Amino acid sequence: MLQSRLAFIGGGNMAEAILGGLLACGYPLSQCVVTEPLQARCEFLHSKYPGLQVLSGPQANHLAVNGSESDSHTADLVNNGAVHINPAAASESFPPAEVVILAVKPQVLRGVVSDLGETLYQRQPLVISIAAGIETSAIARFMAEGAMSASEETSTPVQIKNEDLPAVIRVMPNTPALVNEGATGLYATSDATPAQRLVAESLLGAVSKQVSWVDQESLIDTVTGISGSGPAYFFLMMEAMEDAAVKLGMDRETAKELTIQTCLGAAKMAQSSSDDLKTLRVKVTSPQGTTDAAIKTFEKGGFRELVAESVKAADSRSKSLAVELCGPGKDSKL
Amino acid sequence: MTQQQQHQGRLAFIGGGNMAEAILGGLLACGYPLSQCVVSEPIQARCEFLQSKYPGLQTLSGPDANRLAIQGSKSTTTTQSLIQDGSIQVNPTAASIDFAPAEVVILAVKPQVLRSVVVDLAPVLRALQPLVISIAAGIETSAIARFMADGVDEDAIAAGSVKLPPVIRVMPNTPALVLEGAAGMYATADATAEHREVAESLLAAVSKQVSWVETESLIDTVTGISGSGPAYFFLMMEAMEEAGVKLGMDRATAKALTIQTCLGAAKMAQLSSDDLETLRIKVTSPQGTTDAAIKAFEAGGFRDLVQKGVTAADARSRTLAKELGGAKL
Repeated sequence: MLQSRLAFIGGGNMAEAILGGLLACGYPLSQCVVTEPLQARCEFLHSKYPGLQVLSGPQANHLAVNGSESDSHTADLVNNGAVHINPAAASESFPPAEVVILAVKPQVLRGVVSDLGETLYQRQPLVISIAAGIETSAIARFMAEGAMSASEETSTPVQIKNEDLPAVIRVMPNTPALVNEGATGLYATSDATPAQRLVAESLLGAVSKQVSWVDQESLIDTVTGISGSGPAYFFLMMEAMEDAAVKLGMDRETAKELTIQTCLGAAKMAQSSSDDLKTLRVKVTSPQGTTDAAIKTFEKGGFRELVAESVKAADSRSKSLAVELCGPGKDSKL
Repeated sequence: MTQQQQHQGRLAFIGGGNMAEAILGGLLACGYPLSQCVVSEPIQARCEFLQSKYPGLQTLSGPDANRLAIQGSKSTTTTQSLIQDGSIQVNPTAASIDFAPAEVVILAVKPQVLRSVVVDLAPVLRALQPLVISIAAGIETSAIARFMADGVDEDAIAAGSVKLPPVIRVMPNTPALVLEGAAGMYATADATAEHREVAESLLAAVSKQVSWVETESLIDTVTGISGSGPAYFFLMMEAMEEAGVKLGMDRATAKALTIQTCLGAAKMAQLSSDDLETLRIKVTSPQGTTDAAIKAFEAGGFRDLVQKGVTAADARSRTLAKELGGAKL
């Protein structure tokens, strides 16, 4: 079983989902470190995962990725306020990270990665990014920026070549990872080895029931539109059904429970059947029956087109986020 | 209920179609004794299918099948003569041709034929007083009562000198086929707590959610939500898969990711104490990709459309009830 040292940069919901799922599958807690700037969030993670090492402070990211030479070095960092560690953590040692999971908000990723550029370049972990809208080429650029500006401070600045940077695998998971029922799309750059792909797949596989590789990076935007953002579409559908039932006189609790189980049952049927979704629907839709009445209403009302528009809107937003955050014309030496 | 307390009485399925099979299959998978089940089914090929899928299951067809399934047979000799004169065909490989009377009768015939089936069985049902569970869409308990009262003076019924079996009406759904059903149930006032428990435990064998409704009109709403609901989600998933393909994704990936997303969302909703609105808001970062999609749904009137669809199914259920229930006899 995979036991690599993992560093989560950012301890938000998705990082927690993946970490929590891994721990629930028996991943060694002592092999995980999380960096998280918000103190309250750190405390929450401490209490939910007793013994988990959670770091904050200016040097937290660096420590998580680079590791610490010695306990006294760690102590120095703590003493001069460069890091705050979890005093109740299971382990006080900090080996370098073998896998770095970038889980910060897209808006701050550039600064975070640039800051870590030198460290990443030196340590060469596998870099897995779960940030929406940030392309692998941009991440490479940010790493290079950081590594080069660090080297410019030395007497011998170096040229950072793309192939010398750590491999990046971009991942679009989704929140049901929180209950080990994730659906995840992955894209690996050509310099990622099969072993690295396997590592990424098994990490996400711990919390996902469906893991799919895409061959072009642009399809990660589509994964975003389907499974990344998709849970919210089904929450909205279920909410609308629940409200409809309540309007027709049902109590909310019953409406909610029946709706949710119907959603679950439909998904289970679809998963266990070899029929395509259209056939499944047609099979349960007797002509002139109640289902037929509902489906005809949906079709007349442009249900399919509305779904297509909304999926496309998420896909487009993912693409435009990429432009906003990584920008055209941001020159690099790569 | 513990395994020991679970109802193990004799069950007669009138009709052996998909839903009957789903319930029967689920019960057998939960350890319900096969010998306590009998299925009456007119189509020979369907009988053979059930016999091969559930070896030893007693399936009956023929003119007297329904009656025998419910009433039982006085003796093996009587059964033999019914076979010989062609009144019934039995499963030759069934464990037994002993037919005890049914304690529970599950009406699983198509709504369109239910009236004539029940009218035909009325004397037997009145004599035997089993619990009658109907899974037929659109047929009200009052209609079933009327069919069971066929041939009897209305005043005798009103005076209480002729008793009718209690009826429990159930709206299950097709995910019962994968033991993930959602079912709504309504019991008439003459059903006892024990009757309700029996009905609930039978449906619970194939349903993860079983809900009682206090007024029968809400069964139409159950139809609109969970009865017909799986098709709504199939349509939603089909539309998402198609959207993915249009954007360049291969169909298999689009399908697999879509279905697991549906499943994951439902699981999250079931496990969370948050309501559905809160769940959605929690995963919708402002200005993010999800926000863009949800705004498009809202701008396109998604909620209204869903409400219209659910209401249409509910309304159709009520109309069917009128069409199939018929005028007072």
